[in-house]
Amino acid sequence: MTKESKPTLAARRAFLTKLGGAATCAAAGAAALAAIPGASAKTEPAADGAAFPTKDYDWTKHQWGFGVDATKCIGCLRCVEACKRENDVPANAHQFRTWVERYVHLEGDDEVHIDSQQDPVNIEASGSEKTFRFANRYKDAKVYKAFFVPKLCNHCTHPACVQVCPTGATYRTEDGVVLIDHGYCIGCRYCVQACPYGARYFNEEQGVSDKCTWCYHRITKGLQPACVEVCPVGARIFGDQRDKESPISLFIRNNRVQVLRPETGNAPNVFYVGIDKEVN
Amino acid sequence: MPKHIVRLILILVAVLAVAAIAKPILTVDSFYRFGHYRANSVPEIAAQEPVYQTPRYCYGCHTERRAQWSAGSHKTVTCEVCHGPATGHPQSGKLPIPTDAVKLCTLCHEAMPGRPKSQPQIQVAEHSGGQQCTVCHNPHSPKISSAATKVSGDAAAGKQRAAACASCHGAAGISPNESWPSLAGQSAPYLVRILSAYKSGDQTDPIMTPLAKELSATDIQNLAAFYARLSCKSADGSKSGGDAAAGKALAKNCAACHGETGSGGNPAWPKLAAQKPGYLVNVLKAFRAGLRKDPMMAGVARGLSDTDIANLAAFYAAQNCQSTK
Amino acid sequence: MEPVIHFAPYTGWVYPNETVFEWSVLIAVYPYLTGLVAGAFTVSSLYQVFGFERLKPVAHMALLTSLSFMIFVPTPLLLHLGHPERAFNSTITPHLTSAMAMFGFFASFYVALLILEGWFAYRPFIVAQAQKRTDLLGRFYRLLTLGSYDVSEHAMRYDRKWIFALAVIGIPAAHGLHGYVGFMYGSLKSREWWSSDLMPVIFLFSAIISGVSLLAVLYVATCKMRKIAVDLGCLKGLAYTIWAFIMVALVLEGLEFANIVYKGREGVDMIMQYVTGPLLVPYFVLQFGIGAITPFLWLSYMIWRGTSGKALIVGVTICACLVLFSVFMMRWNVVIGGQEISKTGKGLLSYHMPFWGKEGAFMAIALTLAPLGLLYVLTRLFPPWSDAATHAHS
Repeated sequence: MTKESKPTLAARRAFLTKLGGAATCAAAGAAALAAIPGASAKTEPAADGAAFPTKDYDWTKHQWGFGVDATKCIGCLRCVEACKRENDVPANAHQFRTWVERYVHLEGDDEVHIDSQQDPVNIEASGSEKTFRFANRYKDAKVYKAFFVPKLCNHCTHPACVQVCPTGATYRTEDGVVLIDHGYCIGCRYCVQACPYGARYFNEEQGVSDKCTWCYHRITKGLQPACVEVCPVGARIFGDQRDKESPISLFIRNNRVQVLRPETGNAPNVFYVGIDKEVN
Repeated sequence: MPKHIVRLILILVAVLAVAAIAKPILTVDSFYRFGHYRANSVPEIAAQEPVYQTPRYCYGCHTERRAQWSAGSHKTVTCEVCHGPATGHPQSGKLPIPTDAVKLCTLCHEAMPGRPKSQPQIQVAEHSGGQQCTVCHNPHSPKISSAATKVSGDAAAGKQRAAACASCHGAAGISPNESWPSLAGQSAPYLVRILSAYKSGDQTDPIMTPLAKELSATDIQNLAAFYARLSCKSADGSKSGGDAAAGKALAKNCAACHGETGSGGNPAWPKLAAQKPGYLVNVLKAFRAGLRKDPMMAGVARGLSDTDIANLAAFYAAQNCQSTK
Repeated sequence: MEPVIHFAPYTGWVYPNETVFEWSVLIAVYPYLTGLVAGAFTVSSLYQVFGFERLKPVAHMALLTSLSFMIFVPTPLLLHLGHPERAFNSTITPHLTSAMAMFGFFASFYVALLILEGWFAYRPFIVAQAQKRTDLLGRFYRLLTLGSYDVSEHAMRYDRKWIFALAVIGIPAAHGLHGYVGFMYGSLKSREWWSSDLMPVIFLFSAIISGVSLLAVLYVATCKMRKIAVDLGCLKGLAYTIWAFIMVALVLEGLEFANIVYKGREGVDMIMQYVTGPLLVPYFVLQFGIGAITPFLWLSYMIWRGTSGKALIVGVTICACLVLFSVFMMRWNVVIGGQEISKTGKGLLSYHMPFWGKEGAFMAIALTLAPLGLLYVLTRLFPPWSDAATHAHS
């Protein structure tokens, strides 16, 4: 999907130009189109020859990857709070770019108990919808097995969200990050529906979809994503898969890693270690 | 062909033509450059400014703190985890020093099913009896080393050695004047730490430095044991310029480490109750000016005015040193 | 002022971001309107292409109904967009892999086709009005003639050819359009309740029965309003059509549900808990029982007994109303129901529809009824009654 051969794309585009034009104008007329401010916004083309997307960063030289070592996660939720602050995610307990799930098996109970920081009990423990902590709700229970699992956008190689976007407002970059163009998104939320991982949410104030960018503004400046930066136990690993000695390459090489919902064919790029059969 | 059909076809062709012309005009410039998206949105997203700055940003100024933190077990917990994102600091203000250490520390250290065994965890109710974690633990280097808490000196030997100190600190460890500290009842680990610091040169003072250089490690242990056992003397009505009531309000910020009335807390840190007010004023001013170096105190003293210092000194000087609060 | 975001209560385990319902009742209204368009167009085509002469009294009405509803199809979508002013981004730079982008073209193409077919069908009437009237409306009709008053047999032969061609193209277009709406849901692999190859066909058949039912109701209502006798042959024709297609629709939806249950993939436990719990009434009782099986049995009975006269009119009208309701419930159960089952397969959410507001019940009702207002205006401008002065071809 992501890499179409040039002639095919051009041919399709040409076809679309005709078909699209015909239909659009029959319906509304070209004059109406010209009056659409968002549609006619022009942007300066980048100078050719220079590195893209910034002068110090060439995206053709990287292929990012993310690792989650669930055996290390302590559920402190510093990542969740840092992400909200770093990326201006709405300060409520319902919309997240990253979150942490807790899986608890109790003795004599077949059902796995799953909660996340947005659960009302946990919000009560944190005391506000802007700060997060896991309530110690299983303190007195006979816990057979329990663990935490951090979640975020999987930046899939074949992202279902990009496939369904009608405008091209979301796309996968050359360096393997799925981004959203907030200046072009029409706010139809088809992508939110299409993501099997629940990684996307709709920002009501901005009227656009939003999700994790792996802190693209940080990684292109040589920094780690905010969640990785603040994780006190190293449960989140980030790096360049091109560099065979990078943290993520070593993580993938030295562990038997798995991805979430491989059956969707999305081919995620967040690799997990230490998760259980219930995690999806 | 009838006229109306011809005209209809002309209209349809015109519409198609307009559409074909409109499409490239309305397509934003950088669209299709790399794929089916606006290429310029990538640099736009990349241009966003980071909020979290990484510890490297903090090193520039907080060098002492860095040394302490990077040597301790919290070296994987970066500055911004507890103090929040550093963007805008110091230009637009201070970063928060967490006041409720229990709430903060238990985010990671409360015993909770699901946390890996390797993570140090406490039963909150049993661990500290509701005291702030910072009473015993230095958040920047939280491990309490046994060397710091246990002083195995010989008090009798210490007494002999202390004869040389009596002229300034008093024979019974109660300072006869305002500028030098009383030592009676002071925390032994603190005394060991501070004397060792004078000896090593980490801490300097025109009078104390040469004296401390003469001391052996055993001498220091003995002295500490001797002074710690002496009975302190509570406020004898030493007059000071400060307002103790105002000092009490300020002292809340110090309670986490020094205890509510200045006589409890981490043994690595000094007791303040019934200390000479003049000495307290001098020391706080020295911290503030950076003449005396301590990673914790430097930050705390930086924000104090002369009046604040006087008030704090008055408050601590007036406290009962026998209580353990 | 209502809160900006409504957070949905849930049970079990749902992803945090799922607690906001992204597709509201408006997204249920939208396939409903599209379905009515496709269904109404089917009736028109049955007459124009397949020569079902008994449907002649509703043939023009079908065209106008189709057009009025089609014009309103984009409104629920536009109201729902976060940036309606950017809506044309999806036609300027349509993303080929997106079902939604392609839908825009199908829909626009279809509107154009409907307008053209209507224009040809009404051309003799338009020309007559243009010559007769001198008022403002006369000007409107004169504009529509494109300056040609030619209604000679030679010209009419051309028109008939065009109408036939458009109707022939229109059938796959209408059905493709509506099948495509089903594809928008069926192609999403994120939700077990939607992800089905049968979805497009299910949408298509429920669309047909809803459109035909709408015409049956509109036909009976307009006859009563104009105080003329209902053409029982025509009504029976509509009833047969509903009866035939409702059977297929029922079988398909039954198969779809059986497939989910029988395949029993991950998350089926939650689906079973859902359909036997919160969905029991809306799905089995309202959509299937009252909305589909009842009219099916009733229509079967009337066809078997050869019911005629007033009983037939009342029976068909009630059945048609029930079908209209059933199809709306089907849209609701797909769009809202799909989102009430968590993507985790381990939890359920519940949608609460606000009454007021941009995406509330009032807006949904208003948008569903608005096309009827437009239809009223259109019937004034272009009377579709076949019993009145002959204006159409043939």
